[in-house]
Amino acid sequence: MSELKDCPLQFHDFKSVDHLKVCPRYTAVLARSEDDGIGIEELDTLQLELETLLSSASRRLRVLEAETQILTDWQDKKGDRRFLKLGRDHELGAPPKHGKPKKQKLEGKAGHGPGPGPGRPKSKNLQPKIQEYEFTDDPIDVPRIPKNDAPNRFWASVEPYCADITSEEVRTLEELLKPPEDEAEHYKGWVPSFPQIPPLGKHYSQRWAQEDLLEEQKDGARAAAVADKKKGLMGPLTELDTKDVDALLKKSEAQHEQPEDGCPFGALTQRLLQALVEENIISPMEDSPIPDMSGKESGADGASTSPRNQNKPFSVPHTKSLESRIKEELIAQGLLESEDRPAEDSEDEVLAELRKRQAELKALSAHNRTKKHDLLRLAKEEVSRQELRQRVRMADNEVMDAFRKIMAARQKKRTPTKKEKDQAWKTLKERESILKLLDG
Amino acid sequence: MALVSADSRIAELLTELHQLIKQTQEERSRSEHNLVNIQKTHERMQTENKISPYYRTKLRGLYTTAKADAEAECNILRKALDKIAEIKSLLEERRIAAKIAGLYNDSEPPRKTMRRGVLMTLLQQSAMTLPLWIGKPGDKPPPLCGAIPASGDYVARPGDKVAARVKAVDGDEQWILAEVVSYSHATNKRHTLSRRRVIPLPQWKANPETDPEALFQKEQLVLALYPQTTCFYRALIHAPPQRPQDDYSVLFEDTSYADGYSPPLNVAQRYVVACKEPKKK
Repeated sequence: MSELKDCPLQFHDFKSVDHLKVCPRYTAVLARSEDDGIGIEELDTLQLELETLLSSASRRLRVLEAETQILTDWQDKKGDRRFLKLGRDHELGAPPKHGKPKKQKLEGKAGHGPGPGPGRPKSKNLQPKIQEYEFTDDPIDVPRIPKNDAPNRFWASVEPYCADITSEEVRTLEELLKPPEDEAEHYKGWVPSFPQIPPLGKHYSQRWAQEDLLEEQKDGARAAAVADKKKGLMGPLTELDTKDVDALLKKSEAQHEQPEDGCPFGALTQRLLQALVEENIISPMEDSPIPDMSGKESGADGASTSPRNQNKPFSVPHTKSLESRIKEELIAQGLLESEDRPAEDSEDEVLAELRKRQAELKALSAHNRTKKHDLLRLAKEEVSRQELRQRVRMADNEVMDAFRKIMAARQKKRTPTKKEKDQAWKTLKERESILKLLDG
Repeated sequence: MALVSADSRIAELLTELHQLIKQTQEERSRSEHNLVNIQKTHERMQTENKISPYYRTKLRGLYTTAKADAEAECNILRKALDKIAEIKSLLEERRIAAKIAGLYNDSEPPRKTMRRGVLMTLLQQSAMTLPLWIGKPGDKPPPLCGAIPASGDYVARPGDKVAARVKAVDGDEQWILAEVVSYSHATNKRHTLSRRRVIPLPQWKANPETDPEALFQKEQLVLALYPQTTCFYRALIHAPPQRPQDDYSVLFEDTSYADGYSPPLNVAQRYVVACKEPKKK
């Protein structure tokens, strides 16, 4: 309800002239009967009084007209909006009760969706006042308020599922199917691709050490280059490549590794020796002769093992070949099972996890691909059916036209011409054939 | 003969007028009821401080009824006023006829010069009874209403009052109040004037409440009849009338006063016309 201050009306005081006070002659004349009549001399005063009455009456008339105009305009301003809405509601209130709501209906609904209607919870009316106003409207207007728009909302929500498939959608599907083929390349970049996981490569500490060294040398070379620019000398240091750096690093590592406890011999070798050698751990100080003796005892096995403590820096390949020979021997003896699987995997949990995930992904993507293929196939089929349905609709229209012509003819009380009959039959048959195609 | 018929006619008219007046009062008492309703609705709306559509439609209905009532009332009143005018014109005709008849009958020169006082009273009365122009909504005041000048080809009818510029015997020209006897008819004792020396006086009063534009505004130069005389002099409007029955308050050009103007004097609407002369001769 609008507030009083919004009201453009001015509440005029419509009081008629009090003729008893203002128009005495007039009153007197009124009081007289017909017989007495009016004297001529009274005409003047009467005239004046009548003029007064007339002027007040006409003033009243003018004001009333102005106020009515304001009222009408005011009501029309609000009523227009409302009636406009109701008019459109009426149109939509009779939607075709097909099972195939069209896109146009959705647009029509969306177009007038913002238009408020009382009782629509999702209406985006900014002024709830207007809604209340509509509720208290004349009884005449009540039936025009849309009865039930639930079916409209239902069809609107179902629309995306039942709408026709467009060729664009089919094309999108096809494009979606393509990537599975180049998935491998796509993934290589950041995840180990499905066919292979790249080898571990250098450990990051080594790599970073390498890179840092290179950086420092580059900086030094740059400084030297700046200093020697005139001579045009490029220091030999700048040409250091990775190989040299590697050698440098290995040297430093080798120096670091020496104090390590671990011996260069392979794990199997160590285990074997442990089993064979009895070590006396109790007196480590007096161990020096014993290891020599044990070393001598087992000297038969491998002379190369005796100078264990002194000759630390054994040639590396030597120990490795020893290790592998022992392994082979043990496997041949049946003491050790041949290890088929690459040993590295068991130690590398990350890799194991990666492989598991990869396997999952592979399975999933394969599944997806099959589904997409199915979808594409179905979509293509549906598109062809849609075309057929479209033709059926056109045939329907033609049949309706023919029907109307015949009805008109019948109304005019003449038999439909042969031409009309033939046309009717033709359209009917056409429609039936299309329908058969559709159902078949 | 003619007089008698005129008399009976007048009597008839008077009766009709009486009837009309009675009708008016009926109409008015009827519409009174509606007006009271409107008043009540206004009060209710104002106390509730809300305008519901119910009230709006109700008010519209009431207003429409009140409008119809007011229109009906106006119509009857207009008819009554017309009747009065008719009667008056009949009376006037009778007077003129009597005068003419008297002229013919009497051999003596008629002692028709009135005493000044009587004349003045007559003038005043005629000024007062100048019909008030109450137009219907949308009507514009016609020419010769208040300050609205006459249309270019207006021909004064016999009996119309005019302001005429006549040459007195001593050569002075003066605007005097005159009555048109006939158009370009020469008789003795009458002045024959060319048209441009004659300004018709207004035939209607302008209602300040409804047609303020038909009134002379402040400081306008006009020719006004000096009170208690029959001569027009130049004057400035001091104040236009507030109510239909009021007079203009004018300042006459008077060299005998210090600032050149007289104190404000009241002149009826009927005796104020637009001044065409640029300068007093």
